Amino acid sequence: MVRWISDEVGEEAALLQALGISSVDELFRDVPKKARLGRMGVGPGHDEPEVVAGVDKLLDRNRPLGRFANFLGGRIACRYSPAAVDAIVSRSEFYTAYTPYQPEASQGMLRTLFEFQSLWVELTGLDVANASLYDGASAAGEALLLCARVHEGKRFLVPASLPWEEKSVLANYASGPGLVVEEVPYDDRTGRLDLGFVRSAVGKGDVFGVLADVPNGFGALDEHVFDLKSTIGDVPLVVVADPLSLSVLEPPGAYGADVVVGEGQGFGIPPSFGGPLLGLFACRREHLRQAPGRIVGASVDVFGRPAYALTLQTREQHIRRSKATSNICTNESLMALAFVVYASVVGPKGLAALQVSLAEKARTLASSLGSVDGLRAPRFEAPYLGEFTLELQRGTATGFLDRLRRRRVLGGHSLADPRPGARPTPERILVAPSDAVGDKEIARYAAAAKAWAASEGR
Amino acid sequence: MSYRQARWEEPPIWDVAHAHAPEPAPAIPGVPERFRRRAELNWPELSEPTVVRHYTRLSQMNFGIDSGVYPLGSCTMKYNPKVSEVLARRPGAAQVHPYQPEATVQGSLELTWRLERLLARITGFHEVSLQPAAGAHGEYTSLLMVRAHYRDLGELAKRTEVLLPDTAHGTNPASAMMAGFVTKEIPSKEGCVDLAALKAALSDRTACFMLTNPNTAGFFESEILEIAEAVHAAGAMLYYDGANLNAILGVTNPGRMGFDIAHLNLHKTFATPHGGGGPGAGVIGAGEVLAPYLPVPRVAKQGRKFRLDYQRPKSIGKVKTAYGNFGLDVRAYAFVLAHGEEGLRHVARRAVLNSNYLGARLGKRLPRPFHTLVKHEFVLSGVPLKEKGVRTLDLAKRLLDEGVHAPTVYFPTLIEEALMIELPETESKRDLDEFAAAVERALDDTPEHLHAAPTSCAVGRIDEVRAAREPILSWKDLRARAAKVETP
Repeated sequence: MVRWISDEVGEEAALLQALGISSVDELFRDVPKKARLGRMGVGPGHDEPEVVAGVDKLLDRNRPLGRFANFLGGRIACRYSPAAVDAIVSRSEFYTAYTPYQPEASQGMLRTLFEFQSLWVELTGLDVANASLYDGASAAGEALLLCARVHEGKRFLVPASLPWEEKSVLANYASGPGLVVEEVPYDDRTGRLDLGFVRSAVGKGDVFGVLADVPNGFGALDEHVFDLKSTIGDVPLVVVADPLSLSVLEPPGAYGADVVVGEGQGFGIPPSFGGPLLGLFACRREHLRQAPGRIVGASVDVFGRPAYALTLQTREQHIRRSKATSNICTNESLMALAFVVYASVVGPKGLAALQVSLAEKARTLASSLGSVDGLRAPRFEAPYLGEFTLELQRGTATGFLDRLRRRRVLGGHSLADPRPGARPTPERILVAPSDAVGDKEIARYAAAAKAWAASEGR
Repeated sequence: MSYRQARWEEPPIWDVAHAHAPEPAPAIPGVPERFRRRAELNWPELSEPTVVRHYTRLSQMNFGIDSGVYPLGSCTMKYNPKVSEVLARRPGAAQVHPYQPEATVQGSLELTWRLERLLARITGFHEVSLQPAAGAHGEYTSLLMVRAHYRDLGELAKRTEVLLPDTAHGTNPASAMMAGFVTKEIPSKEGCVDLAALKAALSDRTACFMLTNPNTAGFFESEILEIAEAVHAAGAMLYYDGANLNAILGVTNPGRMGFDIAHLNLHKTFATPHGGGGPGAGVIGAGEVLAPYLPVPRVAKQGRKFRLDYQRPKSIGKVKTAYGNFGLDVRAYAFVLAHGEEGLRHVARRAVLNSNYLGARLGKRLPRPFHTLVKHEFVLSGVPLKEKGVRTLDLAKRLLDEGVHAPTVYFPTLIEEALMIELPETESKRDLDEFAAAVERALDDTPEHLHAAPTSCAVGRIDEVRAAREPILSWKDLRARAAKVETP
């Protein structure tokens, strides 16, 4: 018997007796016979030590990041998180609570979410933030839908350099209302957006939103983003921003972004094979009532003391049903807690120092890979921050990464879309030194790359 | 029970200590000056102990399952096993990047593969995907799959409607709208689907009928087989909202009842913690017709090795970066492993026993519309409270003073002044009796006390109307308001 099911002595008999029935079966008499199950086939139960052994047996087949020199990035970062973050996230008053539907009993989470919203507002330079969405990609999807509600048109422009996963998520969010996601080509030398393409596409008058990511999917910082808003006029601009980069980069609100979304996992949340993640969302005040998801507002209680509650709920599914701004109910509150605790423990100076140090590591590695035969690094001339694109002039990205892996180097990830029918692209790898990487690991990467060059395609 | 929640006069984090001297962002080698942040980042520099104390105090002003019973109907707030927390933090679970080479993540892939198969057996579906991040995300993903299916059949232009009962969760119509469908509500009869009304509404315009069974009033839809037959006769799909799956584990399942596709909430039935609002995990199960449309990648087994399979030409693609919420999958896997076949069946049986017992006891005090045989939850109507000038909301707030959470209130809307109560299998008879006694004390209390409640929480009753009328949503808004007050 599983200890988690209540099993106090004699209680089940007492419950049955109170109901005047002899068996629990009687409570299922309304389930038609033809719908009843025999066995499910999930096997026997296990006691706690067996469960631990069973799960550990599987997890031991993984080789966690600590065993490698790690250069994996993209939207999911591998960074040290101070132990204080998990200590707070592990407080069961937080993690075993539900959505704060009864605000008087849930001030802890509501105040945390208010602080989280405040932090994302400060980082982005926008006016209002929500209390989180699922991840950066679905947050971009919600941004697309917001644009469609506030501006006419059928087409949504995204950089061709955007990660394929995000393009796929955006295509799905666009498909419901019959909208189209269109790719803006990039300059092959610099990796920057083709502003002329954007100008002429917007000129045709059917564009309801434009998205740009900073840094972009190649890791490049594109100066054209500063001219994007003046190019598109009243068409809403969505910026996908990396929160760590905003400790040193100009906030998107300063160059005309109407919505800023991002992936917040890098702030105190382990990569966990891809989830849970944290969708960040902020917008201009004029679009507040079109924003998706939970929003926490400050108010007062009957005694005039500061108090917080979910607010503007008439936008939401449980009130507006099919007229809601989004279907989202459960979000990522606990991850929002990790985000704000991480930023507060590390502090603004610490965040900026971390970003600078990651950028220095990326530059050191890029310059040593740039001199390896068969590699172009960085592939694009635009400046970059903590990650850059490596292009192979021969061989395959998978082959290259596999060879590095055997030298205990996780060398980055391929940018190719692996789905059938995807357009073939050059063999490119996004390389992002983690904060655990030092000179030794960078040298190991370079040595492994040279070994690859010496054997590959000769 | 005598109860007082902590009441710290804890300032917001930016007021905890003196503001730091603003510092401009540092220059970054190789990055043009134009990119550099000009406005300094307004966030305090605090010591670690200060931050830890701040959030610890906030946590003490929050109520979780570990604090006391949490009878939120349709939320299945059961105990979250501690061992799952330990396992999800193992380096082999937490310190793994989704883009690592397959050879280095065989454990994650195998756990995913195994959990998908266990959930497929539990739900009676052909295939399961763990990708969606929460229940509503799973609904939405499923409806995108339904949409893709009708597009392939050339019927999408015609099949534009999603039907749902008036007891449906709000996420159902919202998901349908986002997936590009128009919704039509079918009025219930005696708290259940009105089969005749459903049949009348079904047509060759219907893409899908969305249903949760047991439904949100706690009733099992006994005509489910007839409902499935009618929906399929119209050429439409039957969708199962798995929010209430806890009540039927091992008794019946959506596949057996004739559903074509479903989402499940791992954070309800499978005891992964809800995190004060999330994360969740909204896995989806699909029958043979819709399975080819599941998001990519799928996990495939080849010999003894596991790999990510993108060769799914009909797949709708992706709804989220990487794969599912793996940290929650680990916890759910531990839950299934611990319970096994008999344990899971016992979960449902005990949850339903609890619900009927508590319903019978509280039904002596407040009306229980329609039927008394319920599954995981039951609904009371607070209408009689009006006689003494109080509402369901007052009763809910008064319950907070008893050291318990309040039930879900004002839902389903079908029942006036509704209180929707669910206390699952982890709650003892003593918990049920104490909760019932708390409700009875609240019902017997004076209108003055009911209106004044809560008095034992960190704050008193909150002016939610004011919060919506003048939205103050961040520190920036607080600063702006303070500036306005100073310079009238």
